[in-house]
Formats: sequence, C-alpha cells, structure tokens
Amino acid sequence: MRCLMNIPYVDLVEQHAPIKEKLLEAVSKVLDHGKFVLGEEVAEFEQRFARLCGVQYAVALNSGTDALILALRALGVGAGDEVITVSNSFVSSTSCIVCAGAKPVFVDVGGDYLIDPALIEKAITPRTKAILPVHWTGRPCDMAAIMAIAKKHKLFVIEDCAQAVSAEYHGQKVGSFADAGCFSLHPLKTLNACGDGGILTTNNKDLYETILALRDNGFYQRNACIYWSNNSRLDTIHAAMLLVKMDYLEEWTQNRRANVYFYQKYLQGLSQIQVPVEEKNIRAVYHTFIIQADRRDQLQAFLTEKGVGTKVHYAVPIHLQPVAKELRYKKGSLPATERQAGRVLSLPVAQSLQPEMLEYVVNSIRDFYQK
Amino acid sequence: MNVPYSYLDEQFANVDDYLEDVRKLVQSGDFTLGKPVTEFEERFAKLCGLPYAIGVGSGTDALILSLKMIGIGPCDEVITTPNTFISTVGAIAMVGARPVFVDNNQEYTIDVDKIEQAITSKTKAILPVHLTGCPADMPRIMDIAQRHKLLVIEDAAQAILAKIDGKHVGSWGETACFSLHPLKNLNVWGDGGVIVTRSAELCRKLRLFRNHGMSTRDEIEFFSHNSRLDSLQAVVGNRLIHEVGSITRQRIANAKRYDEAFRDLKEYIAVPPRHPNVQQVYHTYVIRVKSRDALLAYLLERGIKAKVHYPIPVHLQKAAAYLGYKKGDFPVCEQDCATIISLPVHQHLTDEQMSYVIESIWEFYSRRDIRKAQDEAFHTRR
Repeated sequence: MRCLMNIPYVDLVEQHAPIKEKLLEAVSKVLDHGKFVLGEEVAEFEQRFARLCGVQYAVALNSGTDALILALRALGVGAGDEVITVSNSFVSSTSCIVCAGAKPVFVDVGGDYLIDPALIEKAITPRTKAILPVHWTGRPCDMAAIMAIAKKHKLFVIEDCAQAVSAEYHGQKVGSFADAGCFSLHPLKTLNACGDGGILTTNNKDLYETILALRDNGFYQRNACIYWSNNSRLDTIHAAMLLVKMDYLEEWTQNRRANVYFYQKYLQGLSQIQVPVEEKNIRAVYHTFIIQADRRDQLQAFLTEKGVGTKVHYAVPIHLQPVAKELRYKKGSLPATERQAGRVLSLPVAQSLQPEMLEYVVNSIRDFYQK
Repeated sequence: MNVPYSYLDEQFANVDDYLEDVRKLVQSGDFTLGKPVTEFEERFAKLCGLPYAIGVGSGTDALILSLKMIGIGPCDEVITTPNTFISTVGAIAMVGARPVFVDNNQEYTIDVDKIEQAITSKTKAILPVHLTGCPADMPRIMDIAQRHKLLVIEDAAQAILAKIDGKHVGSWGETACFSLHPLKNLNVWGDGGVIVTRSAELCRKLRLFRNHGMSTRDEIEFFSHNSRLDSLQAVVGNRLIHEVGSITRQRIANAKRYDEAFRDLKEYIAVPPRHPNVQQVYHTYVIRVKSRDALLAYLLERGIKAKVHYPIPVHLQKAAAYLGYKKGDFPVCEQDCATIISLPVHQHLTDEQMSYVIESIWEFYSRRDIRKAQDEAFHTRR
C-alpha cells in the first residue's frame, strides 16, 4: 500500500506563505496614509484590473455578489422583469436577480457545465430583460452566440465572471463582452482578497458612473445623493494586498492550467469518469476542475480516506433548493443540470500543488475504479 | 497649528501589535467568518450588555439586514429623521419601504412629540438615529411603538457606549445597528458593521442573511446577499475593543471642555442641552453657531478641520425627490443645516490643539464684534 499523503482541497496558508511579507508591507503603507476607505490603492487596483480585462472601466466593490446586484440595478432590471441564467452555480448568481426584485428563469447547461445557447431563445418572454451567463469553473461561455441572441432580442447581458478572471474566449478576456462583467475576489478565488471583495468591469461610461454612486451610498459628490443605495466598497487594505497578488496572477493561472493538463492526460483513459477538455479558441482558468464520475459519493469518500480533499459544486442545483420553491421548478425541469449534480466532483487544482501530489490524486482515482 | 479632523495616522502610529495579529491571520488563511469574527461578536455583545452580536459588511448593511429580517418591505412606512447620514434613509428605501420623516429636536435626535402625527395605517417601524452619539429618547419612543404596535430599529452607527440611565443603546429596539467605519469611535481598517439584538431567532436569521441565506454549504433557506465582517477587520476590532472605553472617556472630556468654554459665548453659540442621566459619546461634537459659513472658513484657514454634518438634509436630496417633501417641511432640521458646525473632538487632540480651537472661535466672534462696532461707528459718523 502506498503511504498516505495529505492534499487539502485548498491551502490558503501555502498560497500566502511566500508573499506574506509583501502583503504586510502593503498593509503597513495603508496604515501610514490612513485612507482606509477608497484610498489610492483602490483606484490603482481598478486601473490595473481594467487593463487586465481589456476594458475601459473597473469599479472595486465589497463582493462578487454585490457586483451582480449593482449591475442589475444600474441597468434598471427590477420588479416584473425576468433574467435568464443557469441553475448549476453558486447561489448568488440567482439571488442577485431576486435581490434586484426580478425573476430568475433557468436554462439548462451543456456538457461543459455552461449555459446552452441553443436553449436560451425558448426561454425568452416579453418580460425578459437580461441574460446572466456564468463562466462556471473559469471556462468562458459561448459569448458570440449569447451576444448575438441578446442583440436580436435587445437584452442586456451580465457576465458572471466570479470564477473566471483572465479567462479568454477567442483571445478576448471575459468581462469585456457584455454590458458588465462581475468578478469575485473572495479568499477562495484565484485572485483573492484576504476577505470579501469584488470588482465590476464595463465599457459603458454611464453604467460606470452609476456604479460609482451605487457603491458609495448613492453619492455622486460628497453631499449630493442621487440614488438610494447601500455601500459596497472594496477596503483599501484589500486593494493594497490585491495589487501585490496581481503580479502573480498569470503565474498562478498557468500553474493551474498545467495541473489540469496533467489530470486531462492521465485521467483520460478511465471510462468511469468524464474529464472536461479544452476546445480551441478558449482559455479556461480553472477556478475549479470538475470531473463527472460514476459512483461519485463513494469515490469522494475513498479520496477523503486517502487524504485527498475534494468538493462537490454543488449536490443540489439552485432550482431544487427549498428557497426556489416559489419559482415552481421541479425535478426533471433541467435534466442535464440535475444529472451532473449527481456526478460532479471538484479535484484539487490550486497553483501550490506539487507534481507528486497530482500523481497521488490520479493514482488514488485509478485505485478506486480498479478495486 | 494644525487641528485635523481625522486622527487615523496617530491612532495607528504604533501598529506592530496589530500587524502581528494580521500576520497570524494571513498565516491561518481564515479570512471569512472565522474565529476572530466570533470572538469579536462575543466581545461586542458583552460591551453592549446584550446576548447577541452579528458582524456584517457595514453599518448601512446592518440597517438593511435588520429591516429585512423584521419583515419590513414594499408598501410599509418607516418613520425616521431627515438630519442623518444618508444611509439611514437609504436602508429604508433599499428594502422597498417608504421613509417618512419627522423633524429633529434641539439634541439632533427625533422629536418624539411629532412622531404620532406621522403614523399612518401603513407605518410598520420607527428608526430613531442616535446622531452625534446622543441617544434618542428611547423610553418614550418605545411607549409610542407599543401603543401603535410598531417595531423599532435603533440606528446606533455613531453611538457605541451611549447610555440612558445606565442602559446601553441597543437595549430597546428589535436590533441596534453599529458602524465600524474608520471614522467611528470603534473603528476598523475599512468598512464594517455590527448588529446587536436580544432575540435568538433574529440572531439566527441575521447570521443566515449575511451569508447568502445558506444554512449549510449545500442548503439555502432564503435568497440574500453576503455581508460579512471580514476576519481581518475583526482582528483589528478585537484589539480596539479594549480601548473603546478610554476613547469614549477622552471624547466626553473633550466635549465637556468645549461646553464650558462656550458657556460665555451664548450670544453666538448654542450648545445642545445635556442631561445628567444620558451618556453621550460624541462621535461628533455639533453646535449651532451664528455666521456659520464665515466661522467655518475662518477655522479652516487657521488649520482647524471643522466640518458640517450635513449641509443638505436627506429630504431635500435628489434621491428623495419622489417622496414629495419640500423646503420648509422640517424647519428645525433645515435651520440646523445652515447653522451647525462639527468641531474636532477625537481622542488624539492635545491640550494645545483644544485651546487653539477654543481661542480661534473666541477670536472670531470678538473680531466680529469689533468689526460690527467699527461699522456702526462708521455709519454714525456719516
């Protein structure tokens, strides 16, 4: 028997160890100037992020969820409107629609876990206002097809890029196709703040200015309040630390892609699992690497026993959550989403994984199916 | 001499202990709702003498979450004051309810005598603001609320440690909402807020609501946002919470000194009434003065960073246009906007800085007198 290894699903300690001093130095600088709210580092981070995504504007916010909510509000999506999205996502891509007062309408996904453009048009009604595709796992949706549909039906598009910073579709970065791109900077994301954070990208100047006011209690200038709003600002200390991390993002992304390449190569032959492949013309960034596996729950238990941390994203799709009862979906409404929910398993893919760890994961999976 | 309004550089001049805590946090990677948040919540609840505290993303969110969780929504009316930071009213509008304003009193808090005439069949709640750190008249407000079956949320953003008859703010309403914004008496290094409550059920719901409505990683009870106090901010808060008592004492002492110094300037300066049974905590020190704009300009010119909280009342903001209020609706508040000034009152003011502020104000008004006398003499001569 091989000896046990401990491979946590995520290891934020490992990620932060080599850059700890740089992070603390960045925090220390903020303490020296004392501008804890919307300080210079926030503006600098926004500029660098906008450049990274190839857009005109970026606004740093308190969370990825807030980015989605504010985008919908700024575009005027609200009561009586419908927004088309997917059910195999983290809950906030749907709850943002409800929080904005609108109704989520779910469309099923393809084998790549992404919204199936062929099904979108059937879901459009006179009340449809927007499409909210999710670049799930860090893989870009078929933006050409989605934007064509949106144009034809005069719909807004909001890209949920929470997991997809630096992902590309036909050489163009996600977050630059639609009216707005919404990114999360949550600690578990590839470009991660040391707390909650988010950022919104856009090429639309009006939208940009509206978001600036919406994130700051609706203030346009210090004393003129033009919208009712909450506040949703990225803390300056988070921005300062994110600026340090921006220098590593490309390296981390490439490491993740290399990890996936390894998995793809050595898991391909197993008939019991399906491994996502990367089509030409896209660059997926693998916030998660999700395979579909026969006997998923047993495999997960086996891997846990072996010391390999895995996750299920997610076992219950949003349309079948108790909270979604009011939306009147039922089992069978979204067959592909539901089938996948019983089969998906997220393998460790973080940039800090070592080759022998990847090998161990692959061998453990092989062991399970050869038992 | 320079008398800054913000004191953050001084407050965090000796920062190594904090950074050591941050270093430990970075090492632990426990960035979201971890142990530091739980610890901070326990300490904060204890500080307020209440059983539960919930750390959230900001003071504004504390209000929004509280209103939502007590069931305020579209078609409901919520009574509050127009002389407040915008987010008190923004929170009401954000949950879909309609803000209804009542004028303020001489202490800058809601005029309790005018509340009942604002109550309609749609009124669901009262949202008094402990503005400047002076508690609103909670016993009387609760009385009205009970008679009319209304819920009360306390906006305590500026009022940590404020008390009436030894009872902390937060002891009356369904919840009280605190801000930990960098300029507050208990401040963190970015945005943050806390809700306190006596209700275990409300606490449970608020904890779900701040975290996507998730009861477990896989189960969602209701749709919501996320609004969590960062662990990083809780780490800072855990240190500062030990100091908030002495910070408050210093602010109270500074305010007393101003109060006494202005006693002989009654002709020009109206200090709001003070009550021995009320502990005000002076997040801001706000007085009503003659020739406000001239005084403000004079002080700024002399390096004293005075401010106005706030020059435009909420009911006259563009965002409030749809509510149909107009100039003249709230005479006390509107007059205040033209006469109030906030003097630096923070805990890092030195003796010399305070004397300088006081002397500058004396000088401004005595010079004004001389000028006036000169003017009069000039006119008589003509």
